[in-house]
Amino acid sequence: MPEGNEFTVRGPITCEELALACLDFRSTPEGSPVRLAVLEHLRQCPQCAALQENLQTLQDDLRYLGLESKDAETPSRVQMRLMQEFCSKHKSEKTRRTVLTGSWAIAAAAAIVAAVWWTSWRHDHDLSAFGWKATTTQIAKVDANRVSTVHPAAGLEIGEALVASSSSGDFTLLPGSTPSPMEDATVVRVEMQRSALGAFGFTVNEEHASDLIQVDLLVGDDGLPQAVRLLESTE
Amino acid sequence: MLLRRSAKGDQQAFAAVYRRYQSPLYRFALRMSGNSWAAEEIVQEVFMTVIREPQKFDPSRGTLGAFLYGVARNRIMKHLERRPRDLPLSEKREDGSSLDTLASKEMTPVEWAELHERRAQVRAAVFELPVEFREAIVLCELEEMSYEEAASALGCPVGTIRSRLHRGRALLLAKLELLREVPRRANAGG
Repeated sequence: MPEGNEFTVRGPITCEELALACLDFRSTPEGSPVRLAVLEHLRQCPQCAALQENLQTLQDDLRYLGLESKDAETPSRVQMRLMQEFCSKHKSEKTRRTVLTGSWAIAAAAAIVAAVWWTSWRHDHDLSAFGWKATTTQIAKVDANRVSTVHPAAGLEIGEALVASSSSGDFTLLPGSTPSPMEDATVVRVEMQRSALGAFGFTVNEEHASDLIQVDLLVGDDGLPQAVRLLESTE
Repeated sequence: MLLRRSAKGDQQAFAAVYRRYQSPLYRFALRMSGNSWAAEEIVQEVFMTVIREPQKFDPSRGTLGAFLYGVARNRIMKHLERRPRDLPLSEKREDGSSLDTLASKEMTPVEWAELHERRAQVRAAVFELPVEFREAIVLCELEEMSYEEAASALGCPVGTIRSRLHRGRALLLAKLELLREVPRRANAGG
């Protein structure tokens, strides 16, 4: 008989076939060909009848054995332990998830702060670069107005410097004044003693200190002189 | 579905899975191991697996019941490898009372004693069977599962169950020495 197939009969069965047929005898329907063939064989073969009787007794005992423990259940302490484990597992998982989410949130916040700081720094950096360019532009504007700078520490002799300036017709930036846009500046021509140039921070030759000279003063928006030009006629 | 919900932390779903399967799994473990403590431990380990490693269950490979029986079988095998000669015990309820009270009514003390002794012999004979035959006997005879249900639980073809059951019964008859009585009975009958 192939495995998994029901036993089928076409006539009287042998003792070997009976053993196979008995496997499902209990569940075989009343009046089925298999059942009838088995019963017929059992009537004719006392040995098989005895075997079948023993098998029936065994199956009854097994069934009773099954019924004995039919209501057996896992002790309730097992369920309690499992529920505790379930709760602790999912609680710890929840905690882990919260910690993970918190960490990501902190990391994201740090990244945002860093991005904002970097953007701000870039903005400031760009402004300072623009400021440098603006200064350069101002100097260029002063150059455009042909104003030259004189550093007082250079110890420039005023007479020579003024003569040179006069020859070129350029304004000389007064020591201590900063280059600034000259669009709104005013030129004021004044006559004064050469010694007065000392008040602007220039070194004056003592021999010509009392001479009268004419100078053009470039007065800035704030009303202060920014540069001076010595006129040729005074020389 | 229940297991998926349980894996997501749904306590009610886990409780439902436990309630549905704990009893048959416990009986299976008890009848296979013959030890109520071992059966308790095995059931606990089965459901610990459900809690800790729910992803081990693959619905495409079978039912949840078959999966749980499979896990239980592995635990039972490990237990039997460690302690292969556990004595078969008469099952007791949680309060300590015996379950062995069936057929005790309407019987004389002698009849009850004979029946009790024979069942003790049967129980012992079942525990002495090789594991694969014992599984078939436990599921098909004691648990009264169909061949298909037993095959699903044990993860083998139906034909294998039938053949194991057939051989298991034959072994039991041999162990119970009932076969020796057959010629005697036959002669007596003839």
